[in-house]
Amino acid sequence: MERRVTLLVVVVVLVIVGLLPLAAMFGKSIIVDGRLTLGVYEKLFANGRQHWPPIGNSLTLATLTAGCVTLLGVSLGLLLGKTDLPLRRTLAVLLSIPLLFPPYILAVCWFNLLASNGVLVHVIPARTLELLSGWLFGLPGCLWVLVSAFMPVVMILTLFYLHAVNPRLEEAGMLIARWPATLRYVTLPTILPGILFGGILVFLLALGEVGAPMFLRYAVFPVETLTQFSAFYDFGAAAAAASPLLAVTLLVLAFERRYLREKTYRLRPTTPGRRMLLVPLGRWRVPALLAVSLLATAMVVLPLLALVVSSLSPFAYPEAWNKAADSLARSLVFAAVGATLLTVFGFFCGYLIHHRALRLWRAVDTLTLLLFTLPGTLIGVGLIALWNRPATGFLYASAGMVIFAYLAQYTALSSRITLATLGNVPQSLEEAAQMTGAPWLARIAYVVLPAALPGVIAAWLIGFIFCLRDLGASMLVYPAGQDTLPARIYTLMANGAPSLISALCVILVAVTLISLAILGSLLRAVGSHR
Amino acid sequence: MSAIELRAVSKAYDGRAVVDGISVSVERGERVVLLGPSGCGKTTVLRLVAGLEVPDSGAITINGSPVAEGGRNLVEPERRHIGMVFQDLALWPHMTVSQHLEFALRYDIRTDLAHRPARIREALEMVRMADRAQAKPGELSGGQQQRVALARALVANPAVVLMDEPLSSLDLELNRYLRREILRLHAELGFTLVYVTHNREEAADIGSRVIAMRPWQDRPPHI
Repeated sequence: MERRVTLLVVVVVLVIVGLLPLAAMFGKSIIVDGRLTLGVYEKLFANGRQHWPPIGNSLTLATLTAGCVTLLGVSLGLLLGKTDLPLRRTLAVLLSIPLLFPPYILAVCWFNLLASNGVLVHVIPARTLELLSGWLFGLPGCLWVLVSAFMPVVMILTLFYLHAVNPRLEEAGMLIARWPATLRYVTLPTILPGILFGGILVFLLALGEVGAPMFLRYAVFPVETLTQFSAFYDFGAAAAAASPLLAVTLLVLAFERRYLREKTYRLRPTTPGRRMLLVPLGRWRVPALLAVSLLATAMVVLPLLALVVSSLSPFAYPEAWNKAADSLARSLVFAAVGATLLTVFGFFCGYLIHHRALRLWRAVDTLTLLLFTLPGTLIGVGLIALWNRPATGFLYASAGMVIFAYLAQYTALSSRITLATLGNVPQSLEEAAQMTGAPWLARIAYVVLPAALPGVIAAWLIGFIFCLRDLGASMLVYPAGQDTLPARIYTLMANGAPSLISALCVILVAVTLISLAILGSLLRAVGSHR
Repeated sequence: MSAIELRAVSKAYDGRAVVDGISVSVERGERVVLLGPSGCGKTTVLRLVAGLEVPDSGAITINGSPVAEGGRNLVEPERRHIGMVFQDLALWPHMTVSQHLEFALRYDIRTDLAHRPARIREALEMVRMADRAQAKPGELSGGQQQRVALARALVANPAVVLMDEPLSSLDLELNRYLRREILRLHAELGFTLVYVTHNREEAADIGSRVIAMRPWQDRPPHI
């Protein structure tokens, strides 16, 4: 009973922060002045010519990004997780850094590199620089930025799933064939559902991305939704504009549910500490190290260096501090509160899904994943549609809206981390506590949580980072005068000096990395205590 | 009155009957062994008695009180006052040996708060683990872990104790030694024991009665 009530409360909260806002937004698109109408949709399709190019651009960008990221992420995941490549852990951490901040910061980095007065102006001939700069503002630039930003998703998933492969299967393969064939016919097919899941996730994330395409002037469909809303405050038009995107997202998720769901779960690591077999690279060690280092330099070191260099002006940092210290403090507080609530909600959602504790476990899983893959702007518009009413004005005007946005968008992350963690906690631990007479919440507090502590801390950490980097939803729902740092940077981009923008971006990146380092050492301390 | 009674109990997973209409009665203080190969449903029977699984049909009573009937649990596992030793022992990695026993007594309303430390000391001495009270499971040998699991199952003085292949991962010498320990504890405390194993020698040694079960592929469970 205790378990059922707690989990039902979590589901209800998820519905309130995630599903109802979407319903409210689409409700406003079909009910105008108290009458049921499909007018806004008719208008949308009547102006098809105007809308098809951004839809085409969105699909092209998302497909190319997902394809490139999958190829690159899997290759790097294999090299860094499955071979004896030197410095592989350092390189894996380095290549994961772009995931820590919003993609638009990477776009700013590349702008600083390739602009006519950019960092490379004395290194590259003017005509080449002009050509590269031209590419940056368009599909190639957008693609490169999103590939750099989302590549870590597939790489990290590949690393994670490689740990789930039973080494005995590979040893059986090695008795018949050499490593390349074993990798091709045993290892890769085993982790294929996980890789495909990563590819799908990246497709949906790229499809919903707003910041980077907007900065790089590439007309994509999510920007259309944002424009409809921010320019005309028209919920109906925004909902109608979002409907093709929602349809694609639902279709892709239905595919994932139908063909990958159970298989992805089966790949959860179940034996912690089991040693993974490594492929000896032999004479390819040095060339492979060089290739990966070059890629890491091009994707991470070079753009971040450009950001730091372009921020080095005498007044940039003091001005950045003056203009955004309050936003930074708020970002940290919002992210800490958001991460804590995400950890709690994600834990219970993960527990619900893992134990199939309620009949609607599948719906909960689908809803969290859907909300994660939807553009943040859509969630923001939905939250405004639901809460901007006289009766709920007190809540609408508070920072609670930002926290609601975080909960709606990122519960999938903490719930998936909990799922993976609970896969490593034998069910018998909780059952043994149950047999002693302990009620459910006591079992969770004294047995399951301590046993899953590293996963819980990881969920908090990842929740914190994603809340800290959030732009899409928080940009629309923050209360007046209480913006977050990513939103402040984005606002200042319109007329702020490039050095100021770069300094603000450096501050955001530094704060994220410092938080990560502190919490990483906390995780290690917990690990060494066990 | 029987300590445990199962009447026409069935349980299926994904449409496959694992336990099919089993009826069995266990008397108080009896040592009953469920013997059979993997997949014959003996662990499922144990989990049904514990309440960790819900029977699809049939009825289960413990000490005369119905605990499961008509496809639902009437009494939740945490309220059945049953001690259980799991196959993987299920020791909590973050707790010391004495914390295991403290936790096992914390929700047992029958043990007075003032008597708990003495009860924990007794249980530790009973399984000869008093000198390792502050150790965590990771610091113990296989045999010591086994004894902690036994102490946890017995500390609240349950009338019924269920053991799910508790000795299967141990070498023969330790296995035989712990069998004698289980028999000693049973003689001292007089609980009703239901013991699951696939080892005939172990079954003959532990059981005052052995129930042989056959895999579902061959035919329904046969007693």
